Amino acid sequence: MNPYSGVGFFEFFGVLLQRLFSGSSLVSDEVQLAVLCCSAVACGLVGPFVVLKKMALFANALSHTTLLGVACAFLLVGTTGGLLLGALVSALLTAAITELLGRVFRLSADASIGLVFSALFALGIVVVTVWLRNAHLGVEAVLGHADALQRSDLTLAVTLLGFNSVFVLVFHRQLALVAFDENLARTLGFSAVVWRVALFFLTALTCITAFRSVGVLVVLALLIGPYLTARLFCQRLGQLLLWTPVLGITACLIAVAASRSLLSTTGVPLSTAGILSVVIGLQFAVAATLKTLSTRRKICDTKIG
Amino acid sequence: MTLAEYFTDPILRAPSIGCMLMCMTAGVLGVVLFLQKKLLLSETVSHAAYPGALVGLIALALMGPEMEPYAFAAVLVGAFVFAWAGLKTVQFLENRFRIHADAALGFSLALFFGLGVLLTSWVQAVFPLWSNQAETLLFGQAATLTDGHLWVYGSLTAIVLTFVCLCFRPLQTLLFDRGSSAVERAVQLLLLLAIVVGIRSAGIILVAGMLIAPAVAARALARSLGPMFVWAAVFGGLSGFLGNVLTTHVRLPTGPAIVLVSTGFALLSLLVSPSRGVAFRFVRKYRFHLRCREENLLKELWKKGRMVRKGWVGFRLKQQGWVVRDGQWLHLTEDGKTKAAGIVRLHRLWELYLTEQLGVEAVRVHRSAEEMEHILTPELEERLTKVLANPEKDPHAQPIPPRRP
Amino acid sequence: MLKPLPGGSMVQADSLFVNYDRTAVLWDVTFSVPPGVLLGIVGPNGAGKSTLLKTLLGLVRPLSGNVFLNTGKIGYVPQRETVDWDFPITVLEVVLMGRYPSLRWWQRIRAADREAALHALTQVGMAELADRQIGELSGGQQQKLFLARALVQQPDVFFLDEPFAGIDLAAEKDIVQLLKQLKNQGKTIVVVHHDLPTVSEYFDWVLLLNTRLIACGPVTEVFHAENLRKTYGKTSPLFEEAVGLSAKQQSGL
Repeated sequence: MNPYSGVGFFEFFGVLLQRLFSGSSLVSDEVQLAVLCCSAVACGLVGPFVVLKKMALFANALSHTTLLGVACAFLLVGTTGGLLLGALVSALLTAAITELLGRVFRLSADASIGLVFSALFALGIVVVTVWLRNAHLGVEAVLGHADALQRSDLTLAVTLLGFNSVFVLVFHRQLALVAFDENLARTLGFSAVVWRVALFFLTALTCITAFRSVGVLVVLALLIGPYLTARLFCQRLGQLLLWTPVLGITACLIAVAASRSLLSTTGVPLSTAGILSVVIGLQFAVAATLKTLSTRRKICDTKIG
Repeated sequence: MTLAEYFTDPILRAPSIGCMLMCMTAGVLGVVLFLQKKLLLSETVSHAAYPGALVGLIALALMGPEMEPYAFAAVLVGAFVFAWAGLKTVQFLENRFRIHADAALGFSLALFFGLGVLLTSWVQAVFPLWSNQAETLLFGQAATLTDGHLWVYGSLTAIVLTFVCLCFRPLQTLLFDRGSSAVERAVQLLLLLAIVVGIRSAGIILVAGMLIAPAVAARALARSLGPMFVWAAVFGGLSGFLGNVLTTHVRLPTGPAIVLVSTGFALLSLLVSPSRGVAFRFVRKYRFHLRCREENLLKELWKKGRMVRKGWVGFRLKQQGWVVRDGQWLHLTEDGKTKAAGIVRLHRLWELYLTEQLGVEAVRVHRSAEEMEHILTPELEERLTKVLANPEKDPHAQPIPPRRP
Repeated sequence: MLKPLPGGSMVQADSLFVNYDRTAVLWDVTFSVPPGVLLGIVGPNGAGKSTLLKTLLGLVRPLSGNVFLNTGKIGYVPQRETVDWDFPITVLEVVLMGRYPSLRWWQRIRAADREAALHALTQVGMAELADRQIGELSGGQQQKLFLARALVQQPDVFFLDEPFAGIDLAAEKDIVQLLKQLKNQGKTIVVVHHDLPTVSEYFDWVLLLNTRLIACGPVTEVFHAENLRKTYGKTSPLFEEAVGLSAKQQSGL
């Protein structure tokens, strides 16, 4: 019997705290919470660099084209490891083709990204519909299956989190340098190409792993949203790398609790991934309003005082 | 299935014509976005339309199952409102919070779509009969279009094409300078309409692709704005039609089929376009280098009198009649001598021009002349001769061969 | 491209040709700069000055030709617009970036690095702004920040791209002062400059550029009416046409 069934929003946290200290094995709600939190933190560590390097739309394209990689991998290999590899390959393919279109064909960035993602996503749908005869995979890729997460997903999420944390902890200096001033980086002897590829790789890995839990589009929300919110109040990259994951975790807690409480009160199972997106949006809205009010008050104070 | 049947058969004609019209409209508008480098705005707008479409469906669902025939209209209205909201959100984030376009577009996209995901789950749980409609929104389903829908598609295409024709000059100003905000707003309005109407056939995720690929193809083939619009309309229409044909043979949703066809056209144009295509550029570069090698060999022969056979380049020169083979030696023909003298003339004229008119040191002019002797046209040669007053000697005191009679 | 030089020069370019699409941006540029001079690069708009600087730094690959620098230690002060000033980073952190090459990838920033960065900031007179976010700086302060970042690398050659564009006069004077001090310490400084009247006052060497090199040498020898006419006057249309045609043919257009 799920200890969370029938609980309301605030009771959810009560039950959660109780169970944290009781040490019993995880139930589905907790698995979901854990996976989402891990994804949120993983995205929160990489997100700042993605936004600062103006790669947000590229990340969006990446998250679409992973469908092709996953579909092909399913077709050829079929195991989870194969899936990840397939997705990684498609991510690198996306990056390579986009660069090619930009350099050889002289297309602007937005045209190359747009062309690549729509074509590769369409190909992904073709593979999925025609060969896999599983049209549902396409929909699932987009919408995610955050409400059907399992232990295996948790292992994956934790691994991703571990990798991202280590990478960012060790290399945040180089990533920041290349994001800030690529030309300077080159004159200092850093290869801009290597670090850009590293960031691609990191983003791709994050998108792929998180895509299984929340679907391609909510990954984008997790990458961009908490960072934009934190940026309203915080000006230093080091602190942002702390606050962004914290905001992400907060959003996940609220989303899972809300999902459960809405289920309890109305009996309707809503998409937790969808709720998460909305919560992230509300987080930003609240923070933005507070900031506007506080700057207005400062202006008033200085005018009066 | 003959071609005509796609336009006459009562089941097939609405999808065929509808997709064609929709893609034509999208292609034309895509050109505007392409030149403003704002193509990805269409992606955010289409994803923002998703929750709106669902709100429309939910509103109908609440009224009862008999409202199903009005689904198209409800979806349109809801999608339009939310697409507009999405556009405004992006502008708000950019202007008010100084968020870069890239992040603003991505964030809005994700938020609105997430809301759509949430609403879809609600529809699936509470109105399961309508959930099929919700799913087709994602990838499109042109097959169920009817003649009635064609009125909407047709009107929109007419409006867009009329707008582009009537407001051509203001559009040009907008794109290449800073045009009026009224034109900008009109374009945005039409964009919203096109995307919202297109969702039915191409689906939310790929409707943006309808705007991008035809514009890319058009760019590769056209040199100015007017032809760009025409090409984009042509490619758009073709992709729409052929994509739809594809779906009758392969069980694919319409969106992916059209995108694949239009991307195919785009790639083909990029490669094969006579003016800008990569294939032709490559060929031209190669031919230029070949010509340089041939002319250099001619020059050498002119200076040395005869040379040992020189493989393939020598063979080509023989073919063209500039040299003749004599055992193992190559000689210039009379024509060849004149041609070689012409090249040497260009070389030495350019050297003299650099030293006399531009004050470059004599030691450095040779390298440049080696390059320019293959480039100077007869017209440029004429001007050089005039500027230098018909000279006789180059900076190294070598005689300049006289002009070809 | 970075090779040690046998002769006495610090910066040498040899027949540089740089094209962009159908236009020639740099055409047959050859020059040699001895160590310890303060060199200004001047020319009309679109003459290729920034491109020349970037080619010397290795940021742009020439179609043909070579660049030789007699040192590996180079300081680059780019144009201010190239950077996003909303980036969440402080003044001190930007200067510290100049120390990255001396750190191994696993090393943290050490006390010595911080010292060096603060020292560089003191040299430009911005030590008290060390904790400010860079978006709060004025134009002149932004320029000094980049200069401090270059200083902390202790380079032998400095490359500055239009450092005086759009900053207040006081800041400009400060920077010129600093550059002259550096020159007296034996550093070589190459500056892309846009303001003709101040050339003789600021620089001891000048390079006149208008797609092709007009002259390069001491200001007293080279900076005179004849050369200025060639640099800024009407360029020969014949030359431009011929060179443009060449660029087109070479890129296959």
